[in-house]
Amino acid sequence: MTPLEYAVVGLVLVGLFFSFVAVVGIIRLPDLYTRAHATSKSDTLGTVLSLGGVALLFGAEVSGVKTVLLLLFMLITNPTAAHAIARAAHDQGIEPWTKSDEEGE
Amino acid sequence: MSSVDRPVRAYVESTIIMTTARIVSPFVFTFGLFVMFHGAESAGGGFQGGAIVASSIIVVAFAFGIEPTRQWLDDSIFRLLIAGGAAAFALIGLGAMALGGAFLEYAVYNISHGVKYGIELVELGIGATVAGVIVSLFMNLAAGLTNDADGGDET
Repeated sequence: MTPLEYAVVGLVLVGLFFSFVAVVGIIRLPDLYTRAHATSKSDTLGTVLSLGGVALLFGAEVSGVKTVLLLLFMLITNPTAAHAIARAAHDQGIEPWTKSDEEGE
Repeated sequence: MSSVDRPVRAYVESTIIMTTARIVSPFVFTFGLFVMFHGAESAGGGFQGGAIVASSIIVVAFAFGIEPTRQWLDDSIFRLLIAGGAAAFALIGLGAMALGGAFLEYAVYNISHGVKYGIELVELGIGATVAGVIVSLFMNLAAGLTNDADGGDET
């Protein structure tokens, strides 16, 4: 394998790891705020790293530039969407989960 | 449950959401037009492009508040878009029949690349109709939401 291929595989694997962290977070964490916290950051990082690997593989072509644009838009919009959801939830008066919720049940 | 004792208040803008919408929505709008025009050559088409254009307007409405957007984009604009798009489709199709061809037979127009321009115009008409219908549906649903919130006896 060439060094480029090592870099691509490494980026995609690290991206997969972060996507997995996001999946574990959305299944295991108790309420909306903690889930948004887990997915917005690690899912964005996972997508951005995987797309970075794809862009490296394409190189300086039209497809590579398109992939980089896609990466940039994911980087901008994904955290904003999580922010908007958490903000709307707060506006609706959804209380954040606390330790006492678990002990009460 | 705690939403009951909160006062119903007006929409408060978030700087983060407004900035992102300001950056992203022009690109989304342009991409929607690109998809519409690209339908003549490869994947794409009026319906998909119209949906993307409508989504860029809906993003603006979410970020800057639905009522300000309603004041900015009057209902008559969407009525014009819907009727104009359908009329463009029908006129191009019937025009070909008037020149002795079949419905939507672009070749009888005798313009160079007439088929491609014909398809693009028809796609643009479809896109205008779809975008207008989606945005006005969204605006009507949002108007119902606002009235309920003003009525205010949610449990």
